[in-house]
Amino acid sequence: MRPNVLELRGLGKRFGDLQALRGLDLQIHAGEVFGFVGSNGAGKTTTMRIVMGVLAPDAGDVLWEGSPIAFETRRQTGYMPEERGLYAKQPIGEQLRYFGQLHGLTEAAAGDATDVWLERFGLGERQKDELLKLSHGNQQRVQLAAALLFDPVLLILDEPFAGLDPEAVDAMSAVLREQAAAGKPVIFSSHQLELVERLSDRVGVIRRGELVACGTVDELRGRGPERLWVEAPAATADWAAGLTGVTVVRSAGAGYLLELGDHADDQQVLQAALATGPVREFRRERPSLLDLFREFVSDPEIDAA
Amino acid sequence: MPPDVRIVFLIARREFLTRIRSRLWLIGTVVLVLAVCGFIVVQAKVISPHGSHTKVAFLGPARALQPNVSRTAAALGVTVDVQSVQSESDGVAEVDSGELDALISGERTHPTVTVKEQLSTEVAAAISNASKQIALNEALLNQGVDPGVVSGPVAASGPVIHTLDPGAAQRATRDVAGIFVAVLLYIALQIYGQVVAAGVVEEKANRIVEILLSTIRARQLLFGKVLGIGLLGFIQLAIVGAAALLVAGRTQTVNLPTVGLSSVLGGLLWFVIGFVLYAFLYAGAASLVSRQEDLASVTTPVTVLVLGSYLAFFWVVANPTSQMAAVLSLLPPFAPILMPARMATGDAPTWQVGLAIVLSLATIAGLNLLAARIYSNSVLRFGSRVSLRQAWSSAP
Repeated sequence: MRPNVLELRGLGKRFGDLQALRGLDLQIHAGEVFGFVGSNGAGKTTTMRIVMGVLAPDAGDVLWEGSPIAFETRRQTGYMPEERGLYAKQPIGEQLRYFGQLHGLTEAAAGDATDVWLERFGLGERQKDELLKLSHGNQQRVQLAAALLFDPVLLILDEPFAGLDPEAVDAMSAVLREQAAAGKPVIFSSHQLELVERLSDRVGVIRRGELVACGTVDELRGRGPERLWVEAPAATADWAAGLTGVTVVRSAGAGYLLELGDHADDQQVLQAALATGPVREFRRERPSLLDLFREFVSDPEIDAA
Repeated sequence: MPPDVRIVFLIARREFLTRIRSRLWLIGTVVLVLAVCGFIVVQAKVISPHGSHTKVAFLGPARALQPNVSRTAAALGVTVDVQSVQSESDGVAEVDSGELDALISGERTHPTVTVKEQLSTEVAAAISNASKQIALNEALLNQGVDPGVVSGPVAASGPVIHTLDPGAAQRATRDVAGIFVAVLLYIALQIYGQVVAAGVVEEKANRIVEILLSTIRARQLLFGKVLGIGLLGFIQLAIVGAAALLVAGRTQTVNLPTVGLSSVLGGLLWFVIGFVLYAFLYAGAASLVSRQEDLASVTTPVTVLVLGSYLAFFWVVANPTSQMAAVLSLLPPFAPILMPARMATGDAPTWQVGLAIVLSLATIAGLNLLAARIYSNSVLRFGSRVSLRQAWSSAP
């Protein structure tokens, strides 16, 4: 496994009556794309703001390469806040050069990086346009360029895909993969779970200020109870009733979704199915991230687990 | 340049460049220059005893009065512009149309003066003096006396004027200079204070401040902003001041080296002090809210303070030597408008100016700490208005 570079330990944050984070722990590895999912208000944005130093935690630490994160590291972090922040009435080229210099680039280097990124995002011709005159998608590209142009060591992107068309989503995904391939940890949050599933090396699910699940998509999908999808047209409704540790989750037409308990044997299930007549389909049903997400954020039992 | 200083410089440069390019700034500068120059020209007409001209024509025997009228009128501050007319009727017509101010005709000792409405007192006195002189000369000649014998001692006679308060003559122009400085400083402090406040809220409203403050320190952002916007205001005031000096020089409203230049330089110095003082207050207040709509509710106390200083000036100018005027102009919230105005009116002794500067700088040092703390603690708190207690006590 790749080394941890960013580690969150026991982060706690309260806003008045609302406990936004309750002892959140998280490790991010070098060169991975980490997808952060959770309902609105679960604490994703608060976590990112604390990492960026925009908010101070009530409890816990943010560690970078083993020591408390320094201002200098944050300065080298590419950050895209949830609510976009650039100057609406300044030409985008000039604006990016300004941000590049604030992050420590020389004037010349900031100019070069601005040209490179705007060109790459197809905005090379629009350097002199005010941000206001760009479409939503293009504004988002400029925002991403602002986070990338100083070659950051870490990327923290709060909902970078919100409101993008499929083409822009692909372009943004490619950039994130490319940055991770260069060894940088990339953390992003999103509500588009299929996208998170496709793009992330690992996924963290946050619920009411706590991390309720974390791992690769495969690990998460394998974590729940084993399920089988069996299609047996000749079977009666109670064909699986006698099998130990097997419950029928639901049935649709000739198909049955079965959940296998600890002592259940999938080979016995297959035999029982064949005993009813022909079996058209027999496969292990793996939950999608969406299924898992629903389960994680709705099931209070998970907290205890 | 050290990295920390470079960041303040970068911020100041952005604040300065994005605003100085705007049409709004250019229009504002032009309007101010026109307003100030117009003000001076109007004042010149009201208060200036110099530069008045009168167009006069002489006909017939009254022509003999011309040298004496011109000389006497000049001594009274009126330049007589002698024109020629062909006949009495032409001259009357020209007076009627306004081309001539007065037509002097008829006898030397009893000239007829034709005017449209009224003859100015200076010209009337000059004509009267000239005709009397001629009558006197004729009477002396009739008595066999050489008028030359008499005219020498007569011309040499006159009062010796002993002036108790030599500065009083300049009082009117000095008061005008004081009003000019107070009005301009009031406008500039209000406008540029509001620009700072609006800039703070802009960054908060669109959350740029989140990106900025994960990259730079709140204090750097605050200083850069105050510096950049302050420079913008300083340049505008310097342009207006230079234009004012130019116009004042041409209209001879004020004595340039003593009143004009010192008023403008004093005004600029106090703009710097006053702007920094109020800019910190405006920035600290503005950082408490997240939307432009809420800005007025938090900046009003600061606005009232500036307005109060401005209104106090009119009391001060009416009571220039009172102790109250001196005390008010020393106190930091009022000093940036009152002290330069009193300097322009010539009522502020040097020690008071020095003390006012020291007091203001000390206040700025204190406000700087206060405002930077409130700003740092509030600027990342979004949503509803941040209470002063929250702003003072902790980071978000």
